[in-house]
Amino acid sequence: MSAAASGHAKPGAAAPTLVVLLVDDEPERAKMIEQGLAGCALLKHTPSIGGPELIRMIEDVKPDCIIIDCESPDRDTIENLRTVARHNPKPIVMFVEDGDSEKAREAVRAGVSAYIVDGLSTSRIKPVIDVAIERFRMVDALHRELAKSREDLAARKLIEKAKGILMEKRSLSEGAAYEAIRSMAMNQGKQLRDVAQSIISVNSLLEGGGES
Amino acid sequence: MADGVQRRVRVGIGRLTDSVVIAAARERGEFAREGIDVAVSRHESWAAIRDQLAYGEIDGAHMLSPMVVASAAGLGPFPGRFTTSFCNNLNGNAITVSNELYCEMREIGGSEGWSRPVSARLVSEVCARRMDRGQRPLTFAVVYPFSMHNYQLRYWLAAGGVHPDRALEIIVVPPSRMVEVMSRGEVDGFCVGDPWNAEAVREGIGHTLITSAEVWSNGPEKVFGVRRDWAEANRETHEALIRAMLRAARWVDHPGNRAEAAEIAALPDYLDMPAERILSSLTGAGRQSGAGERVDMPDFNVFHRYAANFPWRSHAMWIAAQMVRWGQAPMGLDLRAVALEAFDPSPFREAARAEGVASPEIDFKVEGARDTAWVLDEATSPIAMGRDMLIDGVALDPDETADYLDSQSIHAMRAERLRVAV
Repeated sequence: MSAAASGHAKPGAAAPTLVVLLVDDEPERAKMIEQGLAGCALLKHTPSIGGPELIRMIEDVKPDCIIIDCESPDRDTIENLRTVARHNPKPIVMFVEDGDSEKAREAVRAGVSAYIVDGLSTSRIKPVIDVAIERFRMVDALHRELAKSREDLAARKLIEKAKGILMEKRSLSEGAAYEAIRSMAMNQGKQLRDVAQSIISVNSLLEGGGES
Repeated sequence: MADGVQRRVRVGIGRLTDSVVIAAARERGEFAREGIDVAVSRHESWAAIRDQLAYGEIDGAHMLSPMVVASAAGLGPFPGRFTTSFCNNLNGNAITVSNELYCEMREIGGSEGWSRPVSARLVSEVCARRMDRGQRPLTFAVVYPFSMHNYQLRYWLAAGGVHPDRALEIIVVPPSRMVEVMSRGEVDGFCVGDPWNAEAVREGIGHTLITSAEVWSNGPEKVFGVRRDWAEANRETHEALIRAMLRAARWVDHPGNRAEAAEIAALPDYLDMPAERILSSLTGAGRQSGAGERVDMPDFNVFHRYAANFPWRSHAMWIAAQMVRWGQAPMGLDLRAVALEAFDPSPFREAARAEGVASPEIDFKVEGARDTAWVLDEATSPIAMGRDMLIDGVALDPDETADYLDSQSIHAMRAERLRVAV
């Protein structure tokens, strides 16, 4: 069902390298991450740079995962990329100072994929990132499925409503009303839901109602 | 003082002039007068402030009003988590463009179209010219997707015939980075709160075209955001904080106190910069205008008059309508339900009564219908109000929200528009 794994593979690359973008001003922490990922991931490190430069870097580097401090001003820029969904969303891993587990659980629910607690041993870094990416893919696939089923449900409701209008206005049976919508969709090369929406919009316009 | 008041309260702020209300309440002893010791933390990221509040690391926040509305609308990571009962200020933002874009607009428009408020029509012509010449589209920056800055910039552009998602690109840059990013030539314009517009002008890298007060006169800006569960469990503390901030806001708002307020805002805990660089955003004196000359704008930041601190549910409704207009929320969003959930005027009314401050007795009013000063009679005593016009003259009647959205010709409304109506 989930196509997340195949969608991720880079064409031509036998064993795709994990690319991690680290946005952080603290050299000590950067060194820790670098050691933890040595040999198993490509680490791109940038200090906090802000706005357009960061967006370009994400586009260029195409990271599989972004690691950032939870107080970094660059967070707002990255959040916006996620809300507009124009860019492929990436799993985000954040640094926190203390390992309060309730807080970490909350953060994970809120869309952060994983936390790296300050002072974490370097050997644990790769596993944390692997888990973050895996969890992100699962949640992302779920979101996509949920969005798709919501759209399907919305379309069905629209079609039901349009059928109701045709049945009332043209005294059609339910089957005939559905056929009328389907034939219009096929003749115009449109989706059923778009035709249904046009019928509803025109109907509300003719009835002078603002209840759309 | 009644028992049950939380003695230590942690408040998060952004590095902006309008944090002055919290700064003044703290430095002038207004919080202490309520028996509350307020610790302040300054944050560079709005997402960080939001998370800190959601996780209970702080109890209250100097917060973008649309952040609270977004949570009420179920957008973002903390649906339903936040509420507010205190509006921190009205106005306070501006749109500034780079010298390069300003020159380009001058080149195309000559001396035409520069009367205040400056129209975005010239931006539209720059966009078209850039397209003809195969140049990159313009990039504008705002501080957060759910921010008045985003909606004010979009409103201004759309009123001038520019589709903000098609004709140009809007990105997010934190306020304190705006000037640096513009100086590197990375953005052509931004909408941000002060002192960052004044800073861009002072450094000679940008030109302010229009203030938020000219896009929507006396629209809301920051609020004092709290967690809903905290507000319910700590009603007395919440009201005590509002009383302290009401007194501070009234003091800051007085023109004779603005210079001293700048000194307070300048302290290391708040803006941490010389007071003279904050002063013009508090007095509104000698602000740069798009028309070229310096203008006095006493309402550049409004902290108390015009019932500024009242959390108007119709303000929340206007904000929610912009979320629908620009596709952040689906068309079926119940604007009234969102407004009722986001802003809770009742703690404000209690606090105002205790302070002898007049408060409105209605929660909703038509937004954008008054072109001159007016008097609000539906209040505990009549309140002198400011004009509330929008730059395109389109008002939002809380009872006619469907018409409002239908009337928008430039928008990015999402296709699920009929979903909830079925």
